Amino acid sequence: MERMIAVDKLARPDNHILAPLERLFQARVDQGFSPTNVMPHEEDFLKARLHGIAVGEMQAMEAAGRTLFDFPDAPWEFQLDMARQVWDESRHAEIFIKLLEYVGSFLGEFVETEVLWSCTQIDDPACRVAGINRGLEGLACDVFEQIIRLAQRMGDAVIERAVDYVLADEITHVRMGSKWMRKLTEGDPARLKQAQDFQENIDNLFNFQGGRTTQEAAPQVPIEIGGRAIDFDATLTIAREARMLAGFTDEEIDRLLKAASRSAAY
Amino acid sequence: MGDLGDRVNVMGPQPMAKRSEIPAAMLEAARRVLEGLAAGDATGLAALAVPSGAGELAAVAAAVMPGTYDQHRIIATARINDHHYVKARLHGPRTEAFTVQFRLGEYAGEWRVWEAMNLTGKRGAWAR
Repeated sequence: MERMIAVDKLARPDNHILAPLERLFQARVDQGFSPTNVMPHEEDFLKARLHGIAVGEMQAMEAAGRTLFDFPDAPWEFQLDMARQVWDESRHAEIFIKLLEYVGSFLGEFVETEVLWSCTQIDDPACRVAGINRGLEGLACDVFEQIIRLAQRMGDAVIERAVDYVLADEITHVRMGSKWMRKLTEGDPARLKQAQDFQENIDNLFNFQGGRTTQEAAPQVPIEIGGRAIDFDATLTIAREARMLAGFTDEEIDRLLKAASRSAAY
Repeated sequence: MGDLGDRVNVMGPQPMAKRSEIPAAMLEAARRVLEGLAAGDATGLAALAVPSGAGELAAVAAAVMPGTYDQHRIIATARINDHHYVKARLHGPRTEAFTVQFRLGEYAGEWRVWEAMNLTGKRGAWAR
C-alpha cells in the first residue's frame, strides 16, 4: 500500500460531487458571496455548515487512519491514539449525517472539497499531528462552539447537545496533538519549530481572509433560522474557552487572533 | 446513509425543515447541455454558457466525438448556494462512457453553464 496518498485516492461514491477548493471559491464569488466560507447571514448557513463539518469529519477519520498507516515506526501509544481517533471521527461523521437530516439536508446536498486533506501532506508524524490535531481540530473547537451558541439562541437542544458531545472529543484530540508534537520532538528544537510552522500555515489557511473575530467582537446580524428570527454573529469566531480547555496557551490564542485580523491566506 | 423513511409516527426529534427542491428548470438546462455535447452542437452549447464559462464548455465539447453517444444520465447533483453542480455520463454502444461535471447557475433569467470539467478517465474532480 502507498504512503502519503494524494487526495484523489480517497474513495468516494460515484454519486457524490467533488470539486477543487478554488472552484468552490469561484462559485461563491460568481454569486456575490465572499469566497472562503458560508457565513451566518446566508440562507442555507446551517445546512451548508453542518454539511461541511460532516465531510470534514469523514476526512478527519481518513487522515487519522492514514497517520496510523504512514508512520509504522512511531511509538505504539501514538498509534493507539490515532486508532482511537479514527473511531471518534467515524462516530462524529455519523452524528453530523443525522444532524443533516434533522435540519432538512442530506449527505451529498453540497459539494465536498479536498482542502482538509492538504493538511496531511507532510512526512513527519510530529508535523502531521501539529497540523491536523492542533490546527484543524482547533478550528473545529471554534466552529462547534459557535454552533452550540447558535443552537442555544434557537432554543434547539438537539443540535446543542449533539455538537457539545462532539466538541468534548475534539478537545481531547487537540490535547493528544499537543502531547505528541512535544514528545516526538523532544531534544530537537528544529523539528519542533518545523511542526509549529506547519500548524501556523494551516491556521493561516483557515483564517478566511481576516474575517474571524472573538465571540465578544463579532457583529450581530439578524438571521432567520429554524423558522425563527434571531440575531447572531456575522463572523466566524475564535473560541478562547474551548481552546484553553484543549491546552492552547493564551499566547497561542492571541497570536491566532492577531493573524486572523490581518491574514489574507487566499 | 439510507432514507429513514416517514418519521411522522416515530418517537424522537423530527426534522426541523424540509429538503430543498432541485429546480426542474435547472435539470432541464442540464439535459440540453448533455444533448448538445452528444450532438457536438458547438453553437448551441455556446449559447448555454455564461461568457466566463464558454471556454471550458467548448473544451469539454471538443473532447466528445460527435455521434458516438446516444444516451445520457445524470449521476449526481450538488449545490453551492444557488448554483448546482451536475455530474453526468454520456453512453454509446461502441465506446467507454464520457463523464462530465458542470456548474449551472441563473444568468439573465436563464440557467447557464458557469464551468465545466471533463472527468473521463479520472478518479474524480479532485484529480490534478
